[in-house]
Amino acid sequence: MKSVKLGTGLAFWGDSIRPAIEMIERADIQYMCCDHLAELTMSILNKQKSKNPNLGYTTDIIPFLRGVVVKARERGIKIISNAGGANPEACAREVVKLCQELGLYGTKVACVTGDDIMDRIDDILAQGVGLENTDTGQPLAEIRDKVTQANVYTGCEGIVEALEQGADIVICGRVTDAAVYLGPMRHELGWGAEDWDLLGAGTGIAHCVECGGQATGGLYSGGWQDMRNLPSLGYPVTTVFENGEAILSKTPQTGGGVTVGTVSEQLVYEVMDPANYLTADSIADVSQIKLEQIAPDQVKISNITGKPAPATLKVNMGYRAGFVGEAQFTYTWPDAVKKAKAGLEFLAERLKQVNFKSSEERVEYIGRNSMWGPELIPNPGDDETDLLEIVVRFAARCPTAEDSKKVFTESVPLYNNGPAGASGIGTRPPVKELYGIWPCLIPREFITQKMVITEVKQAEEVAA
Amino acid sequence: MTRVWDLAHGRSGDKGDVCNMGVIARSPEAWETLKEKVTAERVKAHFGDMIKGSVTRYELPNIRALNFVCRGALNGGGTLSLRSDHLGKVMYTWLLRMEIDDE
Repeated sequence: MKSVKLGTGLAFWGDSIRPAIEMIERADIQYMCCDHLAELTMSILNKQKSKNPNLGYTTDIIPFLRGVVVKARERGIKIISNAGGANPEACAREVVKLCQELGLYGTKVACVTGDDIMDRIDDILAQGVGLENTDTGQPLAEIRDKVTQANVYTGCEGIVEALEQGADIVICGRVTDAAVYLGPMRHELGWGAEDWDLLGAGTGIAHCVECGGQATGGLYSGGWQDMRNLPSLGYPVTTVFENGEAILSKTPQTGGGVTVGTVSEQLVYEVMDPANYLTADSIADVSQIKLEQIAPDQVKISNITGKPAPATLKVNMGYRAGFVGEAQFTYTWPDAVKKAKAGLEFLAERLKQVNFKSSEERVEYIGRNSMWGPELIPNPGDDETDLLEIVVRFAARCPTAEDSKKVFTESVPLYNNGPAGASGIGTRPPVKELYGIWPCLIPREFITQKMVITEVKQAEEVAA
Repeated sequence: MTRVWDLAHGRSGDKGDVCNMGVIARSPEAWETLKEKVTAERVKAHFGDMIKGSVTRYELPNIRALNFVCRGALNGGGTLSLRSDHLGKVMYTWLLRMEIDDE
């Protein structure tokens, strides 16, 4: 039976590159697949692009490739990534430059675009597509003037085309997390664009491995104590068979573990209705998935099915939503709780003096209820007189950057002018702009991917 | 006293203002109890004001897992939330603390 071996390289922007380096040296793989993009990432990348037209991709792709690409080319391993983010063309140019520097002439670098609809929004609205918020039903008009980016979660078609044309490295914009895995599956296993059960299976398998170490023992609540050598955690190595089944393993001689438990935890991560896992390429049904331990660190995945891809694609649209201001301070015994509350009153009064504006404020006590808030765990009471220390975090959503800066500025005098025994105020945090996510849908016929391949040549030739 | 933690392990994550929490039974017996006792209504009540919207429960019988999809659970969503745990990474641990009546 035909099969393809896929390795998970990077699982998010900023992920460690060392598991990928170990994998490229030791694991038996044909493709290394990387997903760099989270919901918020596209907003950050578009902001970078608006300041510098050569930025807007996840820059970790360059040190990552520097670590793996020579060996990958030597071993014939292809690399697929959505690091292109908001600027796939610029990313692909940098990748070509890196390959030139490393002397990897003849390498084919593909660039897949077509997901960015920012400049087409008004045209799309004029054609009767409302782009209403799928969660709230609100019309786009409510935030239209604040929109900073609009990218469609696109499928694996462009990746398949690139591989068919011999690409060695494929750089994409906002393709789905699953697409960077599904592309090589379709190419190698001969799955068609309407083989819904197989595409569903491939999508479900991709979901199990796209978060890297989360499938191989990282964050494992079912038995983290049993996971050996987590600092050298191995990332997933997956053999996918043409019948839609797979064996999930990891790089040999690495830490962590692959068990039915570790894979189950990843399977339920960020899934809504498991019978209808919507992606651009298919609707996967993972509700009847079977997982079986067939050997140490090897789990067989089977019984995933699929349904036809939805008629609409999901748009990731970001809009400016103000700024957040934060301050944190610590009080010690005696009377830590009373002093902390007096410190909060001090801060509130000083903020009032500078005409501070906010739309929402939040107080959390770190070590007590910072993960749950007062909604679930009451704030410390004045009767708790023996507490040795208490850490207060104050956060506010503000309309302007100036307002957000006031939060830290007005907390600084707590050091000298407030109740006794304050410490741990820290240094001024950077201004943090907030972006809202506006989820909406667009009919798929509005979106066409484009794919361009550049062959790496010696720099002189390119200049000439 | 039995808690969900005695019967299951789990993980949670975010999609916009939705937090999903998956819990996986430790044994076939635990799975039967989990299905019976850990209903969407009880989870919603267990989280009180923290979850503003609905809670929907889904089953994955072959891996003995329940998935709870909680809307309006992240203070506006990961990108806007003022909460320290803005991505709901540890919300499942509160679900694991939920008490199940012994009968």
